[in-house]
Amino acid sequence: MMRTDWRDHDWQLIHTIPQSPSLHMALDDVLTYEVGAGRRKPTLRIWEWAAPAVVIGRFQSLRNEVDAAAAQRHGIQVVRRVSGGGAMFIEPGNTITYSIYAPQSLVKGLSFQEAYAFFDAWVLQALAELGIKAWYQPLNDITSEGGKIAGAAQVHRGGAVLHHVTMAYDIDATKMLDVLRIGREKLSDKGTASAAKRVDPLRSQTGLPREAVIERMVATFRRLHGLSDDIVRPDEQVRAEELALGKFSSDAWLNDVA
Amino acid sequence: MHGEYKMPGGKLVVIDLDVRDGRLAKVQLSGDFFLEPDSALQIINAALEGQPEQASEMALANVVRDALPPDVMMYGLSPEAIAVAVRRALHREAEA
Repeated sequence: MMRTDWRDHDWQLIHTIPQSPSLHMALDDVLTYEVGAGRRKPTLRIWEWAAPAVVIGRFQSLRNEVDAAAAQRHGIQVVRRVSGGGAMFIEPGNTITYSIYAPQSLVKGLSFQEAYAFFDAWVLQALAELGIKAWYQPLNDITSEGGKIAGAAQVHRGGAVLHHVTMAYDIDATKMLDVLRIGREKLSDKGTASAAKRVDPLRSQTGLPREAVIERMVATFRRLHGLSDDIVRPDEQVRAEELALGKFSSDAWLNDVA
Repeated sequence: MHGEYKMPGGKLVVIDLDVRDGRLAKVQLSGDFFLEPDSALQIINAALEGQPEQASEMALANVVRDALPPDVMMYGLSPEAIAVAVRRALHREAEA
């Protein structure tokens, strides 16, 4: 397998109406598989959220990470994703999330650390165009002078790699800390005492509406790497809906790491 | 019993376990690390199950390392970090 470059691929954009949290988990699973099987061209998907959610990482303990009673009180669904990494607190207007489904050849020979930075170089460029000086903070964060902006996670499936990122556009830190259990140990080498202070959202940094930030990101990706508009195929949608109602809504999956 | 360890330059590594008859039981590794394939989680839990509660950090790390198939990928996680989290889980209970 030869190493490929962004421009060696015919990148597709999927950006549709808001979807449920469990359908987002399922779409990531299905679309990664389709790219790996060669049935789908490499794709950038921008997520729109239909409901608030806590998305926990593949290996996180449900009870250690989430206050279930608080989540229920706030009407927040808890879902587990296929990739590792940390819990994300999602409110529809406050979050910008995207997935890149790429052939593994794109990061062949790169270390994990290099691969994470490689997949988000276009985002750092887009943020720079919005006047934000941001950089990659290993292992998997995008950060700025004001604090963390985003967290990334990758998972490898067959011939494909999924790289997905959640960015804070705005944040209700009080509600987040009510629902997520963020321990002191996790913050021990971050140099900050308060979890709320660790995140510096894009809204305060840009003064722009969320849609304008997304528009800039898509334009930057298109200019740097090329991008054609696409949709989820009907067979992909059917498979994703099956998984959303099955595996990704099941107690067995959510409690897999209790 | 519960132990946490933020691996320097890595991720949070968490161990929950019981001790039965001087041996580790119901061991569960969790955290915000990256591990592939994801089935390796159960291999690690199973390897730690039944280890003596007096096992050293080095012995525990070796048990984990020896149990893992060669194709397993860890990012922000290591056998040594898992061993530290296990020792912390055992140590904290002893203090309580």
